[in-house]
Amino acid sequence: MDLKQLETQLSVLHEDTIKAIVAAGSLDALRHLESGVLGKTGTLGALLGTIKEYPPAERGKVGQTLNRAKTEMTKAFKEAEARIKAGAAAAESSKAATYDPSLPGRRLPLGTFHPVTIVQMQVEEVFRRLGFLVETGPEMETEHYNFEALNIPKLHPARDMQDTFWMTNGMLLRTHTSPVQVRAMERHGPPLRVIAPGRCFRYETIDASHENTFFQVEGLMIDRHISIANLIAMMKLLLREVFGRDLKVRLRPGYFPFVEPGFELDMSCLICDGDGCATCKRSGWIEVLPCGMVHPNVLRSGNIDPDEYTGFAFGLGLTRLAMMKFGVADIRGLNGGDLRSLVPASRLTGPTVSAKG
Amino acid sequence: MLISLNWIREFVDLPSDLSPKELADRFTLICAEVEDVTPIEVCADGLICAEITKLDAVEGRSDVRAAVMDIGGGKTVETVTAAPDLNVGDRVVFAPSGASVKALGAIKDSTVAGLKSSGMILPGDAVGIDMAAREAIFLPPSVQPGQPLESEVFDDWVIEVDNHSINHRPDLWGHYGIAREFAAIFGSPLKPYAVAELEELSDASLPEIPIEIDDADACPRYSGLRLKGLTNQPAPLWMQLRLGHVGLRPIDCLVDLTNYIMFELGQPMHAFDGDKVERIGVRAADAGTKFVTLDNVERTLPGGALMITTNGCEPIALAGIMGGAETEISEGTRTMLLESANFHPYVIRRCATHLGHRTDASARFEKSLDPNHTVLAIQRFVHLAAEEFADFALDSRLSDAYAKRLPDISVTIDPKFVARFMGHPVSREQITDILTRLEFKVSDAGEKLKVDVPSFRATRDIEIEADIIEEVARYVGYNNIEPGFPEVVVRALDSNPLQRIEREGLRAMVMSFGMTEVQDYIWYNSEWCNRLGYDPQNCLTLRNPAAAGMERLRQSLMPGMLSFGSQNRHHFSEFRMVQLGSAFPVDDPKICETRRLALLCGLRDKSAEDALLAELKGVIENWSWQVLDRPADFAAADANPARPWEHEHKTASIRIAGNAVGRVSAIPLALRQRMDEHLAAWSLVWAEFDLDPLANLGEHVEKLPPVPAFPEVDLDFSILVDASRRYTDVTETLSQFDDAILNRITFIESYEGKSVAAGKRALTLRARVGHKEKTLEESDLARFHESITTYLNGCNMELRGT
Repeated sequence: MDLKQLETQLSVLHEDTIKAIVAAGSLDALRHLESGVLGKTGTLGALLGTIKEYPPAERGKVGQTLNRAKTEMTKAFKEAEARIKAGAAAAESSKAATYDPSLPGRRLPLGTFHPVTIVQMQVEEVFRRLGFLVETGPEMETEHYNFEALNIPKLHPARDMQDTFWMTNGMLLRTHTSPVQVRAMERHGPPLRVIAPGRCFRYETIDASHENTFFQVEGLMIDRHISIANLIAMMKLLLREVFGRDLKVRLRPGYFPFVEPGFELDMSCLICDGDGCATCKRSGWIEVLPCGMVHPNVLRSGNIDPDEYTGFAFGLGLTRLAMMKFGVADIRGLNGGDLRSLVPASRLTGPTVSAKG
Repeated sequence: MLISLNWIREFVDLPSDLSPKELADRFTLICAEVEDVTPIEVCADGLICAEITKLDAVEGRSDVRAAVMDIGGGKTVETVTAAPDLNVGDRVVFAPSGASVKALGAIKDSTVAGLKSSGMILPGDAVGIDMAAREAIFLPPSVQPGQPLESEVFDDWVIEVDNHSINHRPDLWGHYGIAREFAAIFGSPLKPYAVAELEELSDASLPEIPIEIDDADACPRYSGLRLKGLTNQPAPLWMQLRLGHVGLRPIDCLVDLTNYIMFELGQPMHAFDGDKVERIGVRAADAGTKFVTLDNVERTLPGGALMITTNGCEPIALAGIMGGAETEISEGTRTMLLESANFHPYVIRRCATHLGHRTDASARFEKSLDPNHTVLAIQRFVHLAAEEFADFALDSRLSDAYAKRLPDISVTIDPKFVARFMGHPVSREQITDILTRLEFKVSDAGEKLKVDVPSFRATRDIEIEADIIEEVARYVGYNNIEPGFPEVVVRALDSNPLQRIEREGLRAMVMSFGMTEVQDYIWYNSEWCNRLGYDPQNCLTLRNPAAAGMERLRQSLMPGMLSFGSQNRHHFSEFRMVQLGSAFPVDDPKICETRRLALLCGLRDKSAEDALLAELKGVIENWSWQVLDRPADFAAADANPARPWEHEHKTASIRIAGNAVGRVSAIPLALRQRMDEHLAAWSLVWAEFDLDPLANLGEHVEKLPPVPAFPEVDLDFSILVDASRRYTDVTETLSQFDDAILNRITFIESYEGKSVAAGKRALTLRARVGHKEKTLEESDLARFHESITTYLNGCNMELRGT
C-alpha cells in the first residue's frame, strides 16, 4: 500500500469512525469503539504497526500521516466522551430537579437517658471538674451504715424522719445516700472529696409528689480546716453550675444528726423568682440542699480523727432536680416504663410536622 | 408545732415594726423553719358573758333549743340555739344583737323555728377554735353575766414550726422556749416564768406522797403534788383561746391547765383522781400485761413498758404515754394527784412505737426532757390553778423523787477554733454575748472559754464544741458568713471501677445503640409475676412492703421490663429499652446485690424474631468492644424453666473475658400470649447481664501492627452442618485449623431454608488470606482451598457448593 492508498483508507476510516462516535450513546459503547479503532489490534492501531513495512524514505511521511489521524481521532473520542458525560450529568441533574432537599432524614434508633440520669450526669460532671471522686454504695444497707455510723442510734427520734423499708434478713433499703459517706471514709481515708449519687427508699405513701423510690446525690469533703465559709462557697458554686446561673440562696439552721451544725440551703424559686407562687408555697424559696459540717462522731465512724480533720457534707435530691428541669408534674411517671412519660414526644416520633403548645 | 404569738408576747416584747411574717422569717433564719404563718381574725365586737337561766325544747325540732340568757344588768334575752351540751347555769360566750365577729357578720334578731331569737351563743369555730359542731365556749364562774369580753384576746397569729427541725430541741416544744429564742434574736429580755414559790409548796406539815422508782434510768425523776378544793369548771377564756389557736380542744380547767403547761414548757403532766391514788410506784410491766388507757382502749403491753402503779402493783398509767381510764379525773373530782415526771426517751419511744400509740406527751418525752422541768411545771400549775379555783389548797407537800440527777455539762471552746471553723472572724466578746443571751454561762479558761450548758439544753442537744459553734454561728447569721473556697491537699483517690462501668455501660447502650433508659422499682409485683407464670423462690423480702404483694426484692430485672414492654405496645410499633439497676439474687450468699443491665427490644412483626435477636447480640458484642475493649460471645444454654422469659431453644449465655455474665434470648410465644394477647404478633428479645464481674477487667489494649505489605484476599465459604450442631462447636473445630496464609476467619451468616437440606444449616464464613512476602497467586488460593476442604471433611463438615 502506498502513501496515497493509505491516505484514502485513513480518510474512510476517519469518516466511519466519526459517524460511529456520533452514534455511540454511552460511555461503554464509546470505549468499545475506541479500543476497536485505537487499540493495538484496532483498525488504526493495526495500521500504526505497519510503518516498518514502508521503505525507510517514506516512513517519516507515513508516520506523520498516521499520527495525525491518531491525534484527530483521539481528540474526537475525548470530545465525545465529554459530550456523553455532560449529557448524562445534565440528565441526572434534570431528573433530580424533583428532589426535595428539605425532607427529613431516615433515623437510626435514637436512645434517650432517663431524666434523672441526665441531671445525675450533669452533677457528676460539675464535681469531677472540682476534683471529686464519684463513689457508689449498696442499695440494701446495714443498719450500721445507714443509721448508727451516722450518729443516729436505735430509738433516736431522727429515725422518724426517715421511714424505713426493713428486710426480713435484718438489713434495710438505704433511706439516703449518706451511708456512702462512711464507706468512702473507710475506703480512702482523709483528705477526700467524693460524691455518691444513688437510689434511696422511704416507706412513704406515694402520690404525685412523693415516691418511695428516688435518687439523691451525697457530697462529702474532708480536709484540714474545712470551714462553714468553705461549705457555703462550694454549695453556691454547685447550684450555679447545675442551674446555669447565679441564684439567690439563703442558709438557715437545719437538723440532721450526722452534721453539726446542720443547714438547709434554700434557693430563690425558679418559677416565680422569689415573689412567691404555688411551687414555693408562697415563700419565694425552695429548699434544695440540706448540708452541714460532718459530725465528729461520723468522722470517728469512718476512722478519721475529728481533732485533725473537719469536713462538710450535703445531699441533693436528683429526682426533684429532674422534675424541676423537665417540668415533670407527677413523680410516679419516673419509676415506670411508659416511654411517653420519659422521652420528649419529638424524640420519639421523629420530626414534628405540627404540634400544640 | 403551732405557736401562738399572743402567748409568746406574754414572755417577750416583740418588735412592733415587724409583721408576723417578718418575725417568722427571722426565726426561720436563726432557729427553726416556720412552715406557715396564719392570722386568726375573729374581729370580735361586743361579745359578752351570758348565763343560761332557762332552757326549753322547741316543739317539732330536735336540733335547737330555746334559751333564756342573763346578759347582766338584770336583763335577759331569748335566743334559739343549736349548741349541744348546754345546762342551766352555764356561762357562755354570747353575741348579743348588734355584736359581730368576722366569720358570722353582725348578729341580728331573727326568727328561728317560729320563735324570736335575739343574739347568739357563739360556736367555738367562729372564734378560731376547732371544736365539735356548734359547741359553745363555756366561761368560768369568775366571769359575770354581762361582762364584756375584750376583743384583743380573740385575735392572734399562729406560726407553724416544722417538727422535724426541732426534733433535737426539747426546749422548743413549748412556747417559753420559743420565746427565749425570740428574746435572743431581738435582744429583748425574756420575762421570768411566773410560778408559785417552792417554799409555798414545801409545807412540812403536809404529808408527802410516797414515790418508789424501780429503775432510775427509766425514770430519773418523779415529782408529785396532791391538790384539793377543785371543781369541774371551764378554764379562763384566754387560756381556752390560746389552746384553741394551737390546735387543742378545751375540755375543762384541770385538763386544760396540764395541756397549757405542756405547750408552754414542754413538760407533760398527768392528773390522777386524788381519791383513787395514794402511793406512786414506777416499774416495768410484764410482757402481755393488759391495761385500759383513758381513751378506753385495752392495750397489751410489751415487756419492759414503764407503768405508774399505785398501792403496790395496781397499774394506773402508761408512763409518759397516757393515763388509765380507772383513775381518770371526772366531773366530780375534788382532789387530785398531779404527776410531773421525767422518763428515759428511748423507754417511752420503744413502748409508744410498739403500741402504735403516740401522744403529745410521748412525742415530748422522746426528745429527752429537762428533769428540772418536773418541779417547775408543778410550780406553774399551782400558780395558775390558785387563781381559778376558789377553794384551791395543797393536799400534800411537793414530793420529789430525783433518782438520777442530770449531770452538769460544760464545754470548753477555743475562740480561735470557733472562728476558723466558721471561716469568719468572731470575737471572744461576741461569742460570750450570744451564748449569754441563750442562758449559757460563759467564763474564762485561760485562752479558752468554759461554757456551762443550761439544763434545758443539756439533755442531748448540746454536748460538744461543734454544738456550741452552731449556737454562735446561727446568731452571727449564716448569711453573714462570707463564702470562701477551701485550700486543699491534692490527692488522687482510687477510682471506683463499678461506677465507671455503670456510667460508660449505660452511656453506650443509650448513645451508641439507641436504647431508651427506663427505671423500675426494685421489688417484684406478685400480681404481675403470677401473670407471667413466674414464682420466684428464696427472694430477699421486705418486712414492711409498700403494699401487699410487693414484699420480694427482684432477682431479675426482666419481669419489670416485660411489664414495660406490655405497656408500650399500645403506643409504639417498636421499642428498645435499657435498665441499669440492682438485683438481689441469693444463689451466691456472698453477692446478694448485683448491678445489672437489662435490655428489651420489641418489634410488631412476629417473623422478625431471629433477626431481632441477631441484632441484639450484635449490640452486646459491640457494647463489649466499646466499653471493655473485649469481644463477647454466646454459648447455647439450657433455659431455666422457672424463668418463663427464657426461650427453650433460643437462650444463650453471654460470655465476656471468660465470665458467663448473663443471658440473651427471645420471649417465647407462650409467655407473650400470657402477658397480652396482642404481643403474639410481636417479636420480643431480651438480654440481662451483671456488671460487677466486668468492673475490674482493666484496660485491654490491642496493638496496631503495620498494614500488610502485600494485598490480602477474602474467600467466602459455606459449610453444611447438622442444624443441631452449634456455631461455637464449628468455630472450636475451625480454630484448630492452621494454614500458612490464613490470617483469620469471621462469621457472615447462618442459613436454613430452601436450598439447604432439611435438618441442615449452612454457615457462611469468610477467610482472610495473605502472604507476608509476596502477592498471592491463583495456585496459592487453590492450595488453600484444598487444604481447608480436606480439614473440614476430616471433621465431618461438608463444604457447600464444591
